[in-house]
Amino acid sequence: MEIRKFVFKRLIEIIVIFFVILTVLFLLFRLAPGDPVTRMVDPTMTPEDAAHLIAQLGLDQPIWLQYIYYLKNFFTGNFGISFHYGVAVFSIILNRLPNTILLFSTSILLSAFVGIFFGKIASWHKGKKTDTWMTLGALFCHTLFLPWLALIMIWIFGFNIGWFPLNGMISPEIWLDSSSGFWLKFLDVAHHMVLPLATLFLIHFGSYLLLMRSSMLDTLKEDYILTARAKGLEEKVIRNRHAAPNAALPVVTSVGISLAFSLSGGALTETVFSWPGIGRELVFAVSNSDYPLALASFLLIATVVLISNLAVDVLYAYLDPRIKY
Amino acid sequence: MTENRSIQISNDNKRSPKKFPTVERFLEGWSVYKENLIGKIGLTLLIIFAVMAIASFFTPLIDPMYHPMTGVDPDISHSTSPSWRHWLGTDFIGRDILCQLLAGARIAFMVGISAAFMSIFLGTIIGMIAGYTGKVVDTLLMRLADMIMVMPTLLVVLILSSLFGQLNIWTIVLLIALFRWPGVSRVIRAQTLSLKERPFIEAAKVTGASHFRIIFRHIMPNVLPLSLLYMTFRVTSAIIIEAALAFLGFGDPSTVSWGMMLQWVWKTGHMFQAPYWLLPPGICISLLTLSFYMLGRAMEEVLDPRLRKEIAQE
Repeated sequence: MEIRKFVFKRLIEIIVIFFVILTVLFLLFRLAPGDPVTRMVDPTMTPEDAAHLIAQLGLDQPIWLQYIYYLKNFFTGNFGISFHYGVAVFSIILNRLPNTILLFSTSILLSAFVGIFFGKIASWHKGKKTDTWMTLGALFCHTLFLPWLALIMIWIFGFNIGWFPLNGMISPEIWLDSSSGFWLKFLDVAHHMVLPLATLFLIHFGSYLLLMRSSMLDTLKEDYILTARAKGLEEKVIRNRHAAPNAALPVVTSVGISLAFSLSGGALTETVFSWPGIGRELVFAVSNSDYPLALASFLLIATVVLISNLAVDVLYAYLDPRIKY
Repeated sequence: MTENRSIQISNDNKRSPKKFPTVERFLEGWSVYKENLIGKIGLTLLIIFAVMAIASFFTPLIDPMYHPMTGVDPDISHSTSPSWRHWLGTDFIGRDILCQLLAGARIAFMVGISAAFMSIFLGTIIGMIAGYTGKVVDTLLMRLADMIMVMPTLLVVLILSSLFGQLNIWTIVLLIALFRWPGVSRVIRAQTLSLKERPFIEAAKVTGASHFRIIFRHIMPNVLPLSLLYMTFRVTSAIIIEAALAFLGFGDPSTVSWGMMLQWVWKTGHMFQAPYWLLPPGICISLLTLSFYMLGRAMEEVLDPRLRKEIAQE
């Protein structure tokens, strides 16, 4: 029951935060120099189409009505028409979202697992050479400048060695060929995903390793570890069964907290690798002054961050029964 | 009258058996710090970058063609590989890459330190106020912090630059500071909450010290070391955000930053032909952020006696 109450409270909080973000964006779009109509309506449209769109978005109404229209449009998925693509923004976003989720969830899961695994080893060898080198290596990976690492990856593995494609997500010739089956397409996407995945992995796993290491060191001082030792359990059992699961908890929370940071990194990775995801679409839209698309991509990313934060909170409550709300 | 007495008490508070407590504390901290391998590497790197930043002021004096932004080698109109004249080669219009690299160090320090200072300033004050006042103010400030914390700073700045047009470097610094205070304020708030219950705050209250005085005279000196520690991490994130922004093409076009250099090499299609141009800026950004990060981790051990003891035992 407790946990249900907590989730409910967090949900309310998230909804409030969301409305505040929506409102701030609305105000920014109206306060920024220039006319909101030119910002939401493609200048190349015919006057009739433009008038229709203006009426649809409520841009001819007083400002408080505009705000209501804006909220209504948001919840019905009507974000206007993209200047660049000339189609509804919503359909573009919907089309890009799975690509971002695919790259992102894979990279986060992979780096968290590997980071936790090596962090455990580093903490066990504290003060020895293994630990020093792992900590230094993790620090080094963690502070690499992401877009540069992406360029280097492309330069080495894409251009010089030629193992992986330079950019994109699919090879058109395979996807246009009706005879290619599911597995071929799957392998094609996987092949394209290796380099962006490796980039994101290298950046993130270091921070998980360092976190797991320090969390593990704290856990090893707990009384129950002493008890386990007194019982004469093997060190390996103590490490893997008693200490590691508890030490991994803060790492789980940090996944949620660092999500905003990783999404920025995701946008950079997607841009450099031309991975057709939301982040790249946002960068692209901002460069082209495609305001409807930029606004919608940003709101979507904000939504994803908020929902994932909630998911992490719930997961944490589920994983750690000691937590009381 | 009450004012005088509170001064008296605060002086008593500060008096310690040693003559110069600040100097003593600094020397003690330094003796711990210099034992730390990571801290030493970090500090050495940082000094190298500082020398680079200072050197950037002198390059245009040698020859106008060594000016990072406007200096073009009259004989070169395309990117060339390293030579005696240009140690790291030239970019696509014949500007010296080494000079740009040095100027980039200056910009990185400027952006990193000023943005970090501002965000720490905001974060410390907001954290102290939230922790000390409690109740509604605390809730409001912390919810605001939560809200800002979930926003990806880079993407927020991107959206703002799409609305307000080209941002200049100081606007970028200001925006980074405005979006990076919440983490600090949370830590400072927690620290303030525990300080608030200590007897010396009680004593200050009894002597009639104002809230303003308690916050700035009694609480602030105690949270300042922690703020300083967070500043090193904020420097790192500010440098990365500015570089990423410049890399994507939304930087200040009148500055030569490392992110800008990477954008030039990427956008002009030289990344496969000119490793001498692609490698240096990225290595510099990575190493500078690494050195600040190492500095922070070493400082953490100086400030947290628990961590220090562990090291002493080994």
